[in-house]
Amino acid sequence: MRTLALAAMAGAADGDEAPSGLLDAARAGDLAAFERLMRRYERLVLVTALRLAGSLPDAQDVSQEVFLKLYRNLGKLEEDALTTWLYRVTVNACYDLRRRRGRRPESPVEEAGQLAASGDDPQEALTAAERRRVLDLSLRMLPEKERAAIVLRDLEGLPTPEVARVLGSSEATVRSQISKGRVKMRGFVERYFGRRS
Amino acid sequence: MNCVEWQERIALHAGGDAGPAEAATVEQHLGECAGCQVFWSGMKESLAVLREVHAELPEAAHFAAMRARVIGEIEGSRHGWRRLAWISAVAAMAVLAMTLWPSRTAVPAPQRMMAAIPSAPLVVSPARPTHVARVRPEKREPLTIRLQTSDPNIVIYWIAE
Repeated sequence: MRTLALAAMAGAADGDEAPSGLLDAARAGDLAAFERLMRRYERLVLVTALRLAGSLPDAQDVSQEVFLKLYRNLGKLEEDALTTWLYRVTVNACYDLRRRRGRRPESPVEEAGQLAASGDDPQEALTAAERRRVLDLSLRMLPEKERAAIVLRDLEGLPTPEVARVLGSSEATVRSQISKGRVKMRGFVERYFGRRS
Repeated sequence: MNCVEWQERIALHAGGDAGPAEAATVEQHLGECAGCQVFWSGMKESLAVLREVHAELPEAAHFAAMRARVIGEIEGSRHGWRRLAWISAVAAMAVLAMTLWPSRTAVPAPQRMMAAIPSAPLVVSPARPTHVARVRPEKREPLTIRLQTSDPNIVIYWIAE
């Protein structure tokens, strides 16, 4: 893994060209321009997919699907709406993947059981690493709409109206999903560490 | 914490999503309730840790692998379309050739002979037999054409072998 700062630097080097120019060239059949367009938006798509799907192979499958869909829809998309469109298609592709797969090979519930069973020393268990892992797990255990709202608002940093546009909901619904999701996550962490101590 | 009804409002305020009026109300309650202060600080901490956990990004190789898969897929579909276009063009040419072939090999219809005689009444006798091909060579007789001119005293005979 590498840090956000390094990735941001790499992204800036790749993304000097205006997206509208890249879009026009890609529409004209320039595959190199389309690849540059992918470089510009790959962090958005792959990382959002990873946060929603929970595994890198799944996130890569989703990202591939999203960019192929982008390629097929190049003629219909405007630059202004591109980011919202990419977030929306990524979120929907993650929902679809989850429905296609049904039960995941290793579900968050199973992982929670493994976490609870590992380590006997409460002091050792209460490490920062475990705290991080439990919190990540709590996100994955949320219902999909609450998880999507939390990922877009708290991790992607989108403003609530933009989250509502991406999810096709009202702002009030998104605020409700965000607050419920945060409370559930906090409750999961408290229950986990309350049981361990 | 016993103030369950405050939890969602505190959670919203912790992420900076509460409106000014709601934020003020929550702040006032937090000033009066020790249990909600614990929940508030725990919520703030959870959000900070969550952001920290997800600040890490996949390695550049994973992005490159995904890009390569997409480009490969697009190139594959482009080649597929080209192949299909070639097959369609060849098939269309074959159909066209088959349609045109019989008309090129067909025997042309016999050319009609037009005789133009300047002076009027023209009697041709005997008429040329229409079934020429059926006439046996040994029985063939010379063709005699009698041309009647305007002068009754002048008759032209054309005898053809």
